Amino acid sequence: MPSAPDVIRVEDLSVSYSAVVEEPRDPKHRFSRRTRKREIRALEHVTFNVTKGEALGLIGGNGAGKSTLLKTIAGVLKPSDGQVDLWGRPHLLAPGMGFNKKLSGRENVILGGLAAGMSIDEVREKQDAIIEFADIGGFVDLPTNTYSSGMFGRLAFAVATHVNPEILLIDEALSAGDSGFRGKAVAKVKEMCQEAQTIVVVSHSSSMVSEMATRALWLHQGGVRDVGEVTKVTGAYEAFQASQRETAQHDRSIADRK
Amino acid sequence: MTTSDSPKITRRATRTGIPPLGQYLAEAWRYRTFALYWSRADIKARNFETALGRLWHFINPLLFGIIYFIFIGIISGGGLNNTTRLAFIVGNLYVWTYFSTIITTGMGSVQSGGGGVAAQSAIPRVVLPLASTLTAANLFLKSLIAYVPIHILANRGLHWEMLFLPVLVLVTGIFGLGLALLLAVLNVYLRDISRLVPHFLRLWLYLSPAIWAYTRLIGEGAIETLAQLNPMYWGMVSWTIMFGGSLSPDGPNMLQSLLVFSAWAVAGLLIGFFTFVSREDEFAIRT
Repeated sequence: MPSAPDVIRVEDLSVSYSAVVEEPRDPKHRFSRRTRKREIRALEHVTFNVTKGEALGLIGGNGAGKSTLLKTIAGVLKPSDGQVDLWGRPHLLAPGMGFNKKLSGRENVILGGLAAGMSIDEVREKQDAIIEFADIGGFVDLPTNTYSSGMFGRLAFAVATHVNPEILLIDEALSAGDSGFRGKAVAKVKEMCQEAQTIVVVSHSSSMVSEMATRALWLHQGGVRDVGEVTKVTGAYEAFQASQRETAQHDRSIADRK
Repeated sequence: MTTSDSPKITRRATRTGIPPLGQYLAEAWRYRTFALYWSRADIKARNFETALGRLWHFINPLLFGIIYFIFIGIISGGGLNNTTRLAFIVGNLYVWTYFSTIITTGMGSVQSGGGGVAAQSAIPRVVLPLASTLTAANLFLKSLIAYVPIHILANRGLHWEMLFLPVLVLVTGIFGLGLALLLAVLNVYLRDISRLVPHFLRLWLYLSPAIWAYTRLIGEGAIETLAQLNPMYWGMVSWTIMFGGSLSPDGPNMLQSLLVFSAWAVAGLLIGFFTFVSREDEFAIRT
């Protein structure tokens, strides 16, 4: 049986950028401000592929490069070396993007939908469904700066999840409004995942990845540590985390004895 | 890996940092409706919660012109009963406001505009300064409505050069956008730029024939040549002639000044655009 075609192909990808770092102030020169440039290598020589119908979970600790990789696939960041080939249009789930808080919810549905890459006809067609999903009642015609944070979160989430992408990219820092709405939000993301051809989801939590993904890629300090079947990779990642915690505990107990 | 078709999208590093232009411009074109709606939303949000609402688009430039007129009339001792002078100053100041608004708002739009799209999406960032330019053009055209009664009061009449109004709006917009793109990049590396630009623009206004007539420099030799090195010299001469006709047969004419201004505008846009796109991902990292 022929294997499914690639939808995402990442080859020898490296992403680095420079950041301006402020150096400690010299008390003798109160008005001077010394800064220096520091190169940050967020990703180094990353290679993998995602085939049609697959859901890939990206796992790894803080600073592993998960969000950088997701943003590079989305096109927010550019590769410094290597390349990313896509056989479909990616959509990074970013609630609230394109919103103008002084305008009404209804107007922001249009702005947010256009910013997410929908055509104006598509936004108009989905406008009622989005408003109904957000469940903000009569507030829809009031400026969004009068909304509670939960209401704003619901509307922002509703707009972001009514796009039909070929490649869906989800970061774990997904704000889904208040707790009552969370269940509905998770169900909506699952529905999107079923409709999208390919999904890449980023998470610290291996349980979330196990729930949503069919395959996992473990990033560690900007490089690929492991990639493969989801339970195998998340298992290895959990074992690694446990050993890290044990080492830290051991170091602390030695320090306490001293 | 089994994929025979060529990919729909390829992202790779380029030596110059400039992305494949065809792909970039096609993407920017795809988001044209967003630019238009964002611009409209921005205008609507500006006078949000004010009692007079949209009327401020007309009141603001009118008050601005009258204050300048009184101030200059007193300082220069020219008196306050010269309506031709009022129309000259008000018209040119509206143009300058249009030009400087494109630069200041366009420059900051990548950091603040578009509801965070620069940091969260692959929208070509050029769409944001473009939306700011559309906003400035929209507000400028509204201020021209406020100018009409002053023009009639000053009896400045109708001239064939008025036919160039749409061209001048476009060329001024192009020049302003080019500078906004260039300054947006510089501002990412050195945030102090955004603090300096308003002062620089004020100085540039006084050095350009906006609140003084270009005829003052005719026959002044080196000073006139020096003044003509300023792109906005040609811009303001074109606008002055458009509003009130040629002020002197010895000075530059409409076509000459518009041609030189257009050349500056195209050069400014090309330099600004290529600098901007080659450094575009810096906006996602540093905003």
